[in-house]
Amino acid sequence: MPTVPAGSPELRVLVVDDDTELCQLLSEYLATEGYAVECVHTGRRGVERALDGDHAIVVLDVMLPDLKGFEVLRRVRAESRQPILMLTARGDEQDRILGLEMGADDYLAKPFNPRELSARIDAILRRSRPDASLDRRAGDRLAVGDVTVDKGARVARRGPDLLDLTTVEFDLLDILLRGAGRVIPRDELVQSVLRREFSPFDRSIDTHVSNLRRKLGPAPDGSERIKGVRGIGYQYALHERPAPHER
Amino acid sequence: MHRLHVKIFLWFWLGVLVVSGTLVSLTELSHSRAEDDRAWQEKYTPRLDMWARQESGILRREGPAGLERYVGSFEMDPGVTNYIFDADGHEVLGRNPAPPVLRLVQSMADWPAGKPRVDTEERIIAERVIDVRGTPHVVVVDWPSPSVLNRSLFEFLSPDIYAQRPSGASVGRIVAVLAVAGVVCFIMARHIARPIDRLRSAARNIANQQLQTRVDGSVLQRKDELADLGRDFDRMAERIEQLVTAQRHLLADVSHALRSPLARLNVALGLARQRNGPPTSEHLDRIETEAERLNKLIGQLLTMARVDSGVDLERPTMFDLGSVVEEVSCDAEYEARNRQCAVEFSQQGTCVVEGAREMLRGAVENVVRNAVRHTAERTRVEVSLNRRQAVGGARAIIRVRDHGPGVPEEAVDTLFVPFNKVLTDGLSNPERTGLGLAITRRTFEVHGGSASAANSPDGGFVVTLELPAQG
Repeated sequence: MPTVPAGSPELRVLVVDDDTELCQLLSEYLATEGYAVECVHTGRRGVERALDGDHAIVVLDVMLPDLKGFEVLRRVRAESRQPILMLTARGDEQDRILGLEMGADDYLAKPFNPRELSARIDAILRRSRPDASLDRRAGDRLAVGDVTVDKGARVARRGPDLLDLTTVEFDLLDILLRGAGRVIPRDELVQSVLRREFSPFDRSIDTHVSNLRRKLGPAPDGSERIKGVRGIGYQYALHERPAPHER
Repeated sequence: MHRLHVKIFLWFWLGVLVVSGTLVSLTELSHSRAEDDRAWQEKYTPRLDMWARQESGILRREGPAGLERYVGSFEMDPGVTNYIFDADGHEVLGRNPAPPVLRLVQSMADWPAGKPRVDTEERIIAERVIDVRGTPHVVVVDWPSPSVLNRSLFEFLSPDIYAQRPSGASVGRIVAVLAVAGVVCFIMARHIARPIDRLRSAARNIANQQLQTRVDGSVLQRKDELADLGRDFDRMAERIEQLVTAQRHLLADVSHALRSPLARLNVALGLARQRNGPPTSEHLDRIETEAERLNKLIGQLLTMARVDSGVDLERPTMFDLGSVVEEVSCDAEYEARNRQCAVEFSQQGTCVVEGAREMLRGAVENVVRNAVRHTAERTRVEVSLNRRQAVGGARAIIRVRDHGPGVPEEAVDTLFVPFNKVLTDGLSNPERTGLGLAITRRTFEVHGGSASAANSPDGGFVVTLELPAQG
């Protein structure tokens, strides 16, 4: 659990949900976990507050009375990389995928277990908060082929172009590049990137990988940069010195 | 042409044939009867006059014996008799005429001589004749009425009388009547059979869950009971559609409505855990477990409602079913390892299908995970995907086989019915919602496929899923 006192700007949580009673209960619960919660009940107000940049993370419900949650997500993502956790409807796989594809950092099916919510918020925040002691060391700039990752500044580039990655995608790229040429199992990716227990039927990591692929584009020789090895995991292919066996 | 059409057509045609046949024979018969009468009258009336004069003369000169010889020398048509009566009304040659003849002879007393009297009803011609001595006689010709049976005989014996017989021209006329009757009957039969056919196909569509089906407009434009039937059918179809839609909406609405309080309950439970120490945690665990089950159930109800609503099929995509089944198998492998089991995937032929990928993925996952749960420890779950060419296009067939205890034979059919739980050792498993396989079947059905299950003869359980494949 975070030890920073409530009220500190990093731990302010914006909850966008029209269920006022749930918001009240959540505020109470998350306050005990060390978060300061602000609740808004409409999509429009949610967009405004999220773009003010006062919060470390936004918890966004898909079902809102005015704007759909996806629309809120789209408007916020257009201007900010503010971490966002979506609350999707249970039994609605399309919503989950759509949310992740549109740049949500993670999702949780509603109704949810509040411990799970707090753990996910914690995971996203730890990811997005640059850790000075670890990341500012020399050698945290990593280059594989034309892609460079600066973990200290949390910046990734392809050649001279800045890549617009979410925090999950950034961490994913980082871990894949560090193990470039090696197949990294899905469970390892889930644990170190999403920071949660691997569950075999949860395909979120695959959606994040395909988003990252799309943003990276193909390698200079036209081949896929990140290769899937079915049933095992993913591999960042080395291109200057071709790997002994591709796929 | 359909059976009903053929049947109605043949019955109509037969009806027309029988009616027209009867009509023709009746007119033909009555016509020839009148013709007979005229022909016989024309033939015998002049002769009678001649005979009457000769016979009265012969009787006077040669007596009854001479008359008998004379009468016997006549060439008469069969059945025709020539009588001669004296003034007292006795038959001169002592024969016994029929009563109508006697009655007519008695009434001839006042009849002017030399004038034939014809009784068409009884078919008798009589004439009074007075010889040179002034003795009156009555001479009679009696001819039999031809019965229908006898007609052909008469016809055969006296072809001259029946001059107007059916000729080649009449045969042509009969053929023409048959042809016209045939065409008219065919059209009439189609007029009746076609709307019935339309109604039938509408009913079949509704039975196949295409609830928005309505009766073809051409049926409703008619002005008869079939149009009424069509309208009633449409009303019924509309009602069924409303009811089914309402039921589905209710299911979705109830599930959505349950979501919010359950979300609050979960958070409240979390708060209770934060505030209270370990002593109460056992019961809180229990509450959490039950809340989790409710979550799962609501999730599946919403999935079911979503499959039924068909929203995911509004924008179908083409994808390789093999990759979906393989992914599911690989994922299930993780779960299977905990029980020292394995999931084996094999594929023959590529199966590109059209539909909602995630929805199908979930449907296949339900079956494979079920198999992993039920297969015995240290056994394999075999998942295979085959492409098969069938009537009406290629089919992708997924077969999932476990090596578990199987399912009681009588329960196999109810496996796919929502909330129909299979009892294991007489108990139902509280972890199972009884919706998983129902969702799977519904998903495959809305994709134009099917789901079925059976115990394998050599142990274990097999679930077979089918989908139409592209190409």
